[in-house]
Amino acid sequence: MSGSIILRSCARFSVPFTIPTNRRVLCSAVLQKYMSSKIPAVSYPNKENTSTPEQLGLDGWKITMKSSAQEDVSTVSSDKDEDPLAAVRELVEMWRLLGKEVPEHISEEELKTAMECVSKSSKRKYLKYLYIREKNKKAKQIKKEMKAATREKAIKEQLLETAKEDKQQNFLFLRLWDRNMDIAMGWKGAQAMQFGQPLVFDMDYDNYMKPKELQNTVSQLLESEGWNRRDVDPFHLYFCNLKTDGAYHKELVKRYGEKWDKLLLTATEKSHVDLFPKDSIIYLTADSPKVMTTFKHDKIYIVGSFVDKAMQTGTSLAKAKRLKLATECLPLDRYLQWDTGTKNLTLDQMIRILLCLKNTGSWEEALKFVPRRKHTGYMEISQHSQEFVNRLMKSKTFNSFPKGSLHTQKRWHK
Amino acid sequence: MMTFCFTGIRSFSKLWKSNPYLGLSPGHSYLSLFFKDCYGNQQKWFSLKTVSAQNTKAENLLIAKARYFRKGDEGSNKQVSSDSHLFAAGAAKKRSQMNPHKEGRALPPVRDTIQLPTKPLNSEEWDKLKEDFKGKANFESWIISQMAHSHSSIDVAKSLLAWVAAKNNGIVGYNLLVRYLYLCIFHKQTSEVIDVYEIMKARYKRLEPEGYTLLIQGLIHSDRWKEALLLLEDIKKVMVPSRRNYNDCIKGALLHQDVNLAWNLYQELLDHDLTPMLKTLKTFFDFGKNIKDDQYSNKLLDILLYLRDYHLYPEESFAHSIKTWFESVPGEQWKGQFTTVKESGHCLGCGKAIESIHLSPEEYEFLKGKFMRDVIDGGDQYKKTTPQELERFQNFVKSRPPFDIVIDGLNVAKTFPKARESQVLLGVVSQLAKQNLQLLVLGRKHMLTQNSKWRKDEMKKVQQQASCFFADNISEDDPFLLYATLHSGNHCRFITKDLMRDHKASLRDAKTQRLFFKWQQGHQLAITRRFAGSKLTFQHIPSYDTVVQTTGDSWHIPYDEDMVERYSYEVPTKWLCLHRKT
Repeated sequence: MSGSIILRSCARFSVPFTIPTNRRVLCSAVLQKYMSSKIPAVSYPNKENTSTPEQLGLDGWKITMKSSAQEDVSTVSSDKDEDPLAAVRELVEMWRLLGKEVPEHISEEELKTAMECVSKSSKRKYLKYLYIREKNKKAKQIKKEMKAATREKAIKEQLLETAKEDKQQNFLFLRLWDRNMDIAMGWKGAQAMQFGQPLVFDMDYDNYMKPKELQNTVSQLLESEGWNRRDVDPFHLYFCNLKTDGAYHKELVKRYGEKWDKLLLTATEKSHVDLFPKDSIIYLTADSPKVMTTFKHDKIYIVGSFVDKAMQTGTSLAKAKRLKLATECLPLDRYLQWDTGTKNLTLDQMIRILLCLKNTGSWEEALKFVPRRKHTGYMEISQHSQEFVNRLMKSKTFNSFPKGSLHTQKRWHK
Repeated sequence: MMTFCFTGIRSFSKLWKSNPYLGLSPGHSYLSLFFKDCYGNQQKWFSLKTVSAQNTKAENLLIAKARYFRKGDEGSNKQVSSDSHLFAAGAAKKRSQMNPHKEGRALPPVRDTIQLPTKPLNSEEWDKLKEDFKGKANFESWIISQMAHSHSSIDVAKSLLAWVAAKNNGIVGYNLLVRYLYLCIFHKQTSEVIDVYEIMKARYKRLEPEGYTLLIQGLIHSDRWKEALLLLEDIKKVMVPSRRNYNDCIKGALLHQDVNLAWNLYQELLDHDLTPMLKTLKTFFDFGKNIKDDQYSNKLLDILLYLRDYHLYPEESFAHSIKTWFESVPGEQWKGQFTTVKESGHCLGCGKAIESIHLSPEEYEFLKGKFMRDVIDGGDQYKKTTPQELERFQNFVKSRPPFDIVIDGLNVAKTFPKARESQVLLGVVSQLAKQNLQLLVLGRKHMLTQNSKWRKDEMKKVQQQASCFFADNISEDDPFLLYATLHSGNHCRFITKDLMRDHKASLRDAKTQRLFFKWQQGHQLAITRRFAGSKLTFQHIPSYDTVVQTTGDSWHIPYDEDMVERYSYEVPTKWLCLHRKT
């Protein structure tokens, strides 16, 4: 009985071992002896505790620990020069015992990656990432099982119901909604390919990104493409500077699978300056000194597909400067009371803002897609008109101008 | 008419959350009311403070005092002593006290209140305690980490382990063992450490860094200290040991008189590109008192040169160790004293001149080249400027005679927020021009457009009195400023309040960064004047370099005082002066 518990508690170690029966008997015997000799410690509440640890029987666990463990060692101490992978595996195992955030199961490939991490902290970070991923996977699995159970239950009940009432019903449509929606979106996409306003994603940033960032960028691109597809009046998307068989291209093909060749967008190795006239291009970058006031339907906007976690400021602005392109940034400060976070938005937020501007032209509406955690609310009067008022006051040319009237209007067009 | 607006709502919630009964928090919350009148340029801060009882540090009082001064208030900066310069230790601390933060410090999280046992308990009592525990964590690991935190006696911890072992068939988890080990080391129970070491050796084939570190720390005091080195080897199999591990091993080796081993470990530590702990270096000096051996002495001098090369400064206690060691060297009669250095760059103790702050010609050229390559160009000229502009700038610099002073126009103009910017700039330029100095003003093109802040006629006068270079509005002007100064030669200074830390950071390697910092200390002028009308005064520039230095029969070693907080871009002000009586 006691042996089975030991077995279970030791099964957590990856070290294979066996416990011969005589050892098990010894082990529990030692334990018994110590447990029985144990005197309750706090039986002298008013006396000073002068008894030594030996008398209290506090050292019993040491003996059992040593004696019960000798087996694990005998099996493993033989091979001294083992490969470093195994060493890292054991390190992970010990970290797990210590309660650190490391994954329970780890594949050879992940181990190699962990081994190649240069510093202790980067190892820790990578293992934490694996741990979180593992946890999410498990949670999803549990959810899935629960859903399946409820579905089965529902089906059973339904079967009972249908047995009760077998009534003919009249419907107008078959239930093929998803397919119909896909087809409709496809038609719209084809239309956009012919007549839509171009929107360019500049893919020339793969040397600036680590693999992790590149994956994040591709996720954001997928999301952006999805939002564009669902819109009433989609953009005609261009992926420019996309090197065939580059890391970017590979990742995109991997994520899209078969759909990659059927996507209704233009992926090209060419640069955006080769495809469009330079004077109609506007490069969107948060570092730009020029603020976007209105969305222009005859311009080609460019978004750099670049996730920058290393704070390489000014990269996209430098690119635009090199090609002598016009740049603009969103008027975030003008409409929002910015609180925290960078003003670089994700690609999907960007495309949703642009789509909204294209369809409605209202900044307040469009900037709903800026994450709420980054700002504390909309400006009372947009800064823009405020500046205008200030300028009027200073120049004193419009003294007859009724001052109050400007405070009521929200936006002021140049 | 006054409008009230509350700022820093977060600190309100903090205030409500802070529990006066806890008495845990060394911090305090500030509730700030911010009055703003319709003109929007007069601000006053009132602080209501809840101070916990233990909070009687003078430093906090200082902060509180500082809070009542507005930024830019005349006379409030009096405490920033005028004789210290921009990079003197403690200057940043003082500056931060002048401009206090709006929010109070965050309170530590509220702990689960469970009385930690003070005596060993028996298993029933432990069971009961476990029932009382209402946390989410695993009770055993939670309680042991609490014990480790509050340094309970090891008997209590032992009774916990005994209870766990009894429940688990004699098996105690690794995390409990590690915490227990920590307690044993804290209470210096070497025999217990050895016991735990035996158990770990028996149970586990390999540990992880935390366990190894603790074992090494515990074993070096015992007779089995050699085994700590085996543990160090074990760590090396999976990662580079920490400098703490090396520190402990070296300490162990020196405790047991194995000098060669200690030096070998020290060399290994340097080979790993780790910066040794100052503790480690201090240990060598402390041990050196009892060794009369030339080789050892030379190695200690090498350590001092290492401090010099890496611009490290010993702490006060380390400085005492160095002094003691020098004075114990037989036959050389060293005499040490703690002193300061006069502004003229002479040591108050012995009157010798401290090394000059100026770079040697080779260093100067090296820095110039590196600066051009890394900071201005940086692999992409379009990031900070454009090739055309760079060419324009280089031609401009070449076509002029060397300058005496290069002025960061924008930084100087914004020194006094209440005055017009072009007027401030003109004031500074004309004052300097009277001294017959060759001036260069660096700015951006927008300074030339007429508006409320920049007036064309004033800018014209500036251009008459100084050479000007205006960069594009989206270019960075600092790199140009620094390069123009470097290009003009060693006598040239630049005026700005900017500490240029970002440009220092874009230099690739630490050695160049140190060179840059040295050059910056010797060439940067910062305006200390408090309002626009008065005469121009500058931070004085130290004429000497604060670094460990020797002339053979004397050593001058700057050190950090215990009570002064020094930022990374500041240098100490106190020195240890050692010289031989001949």
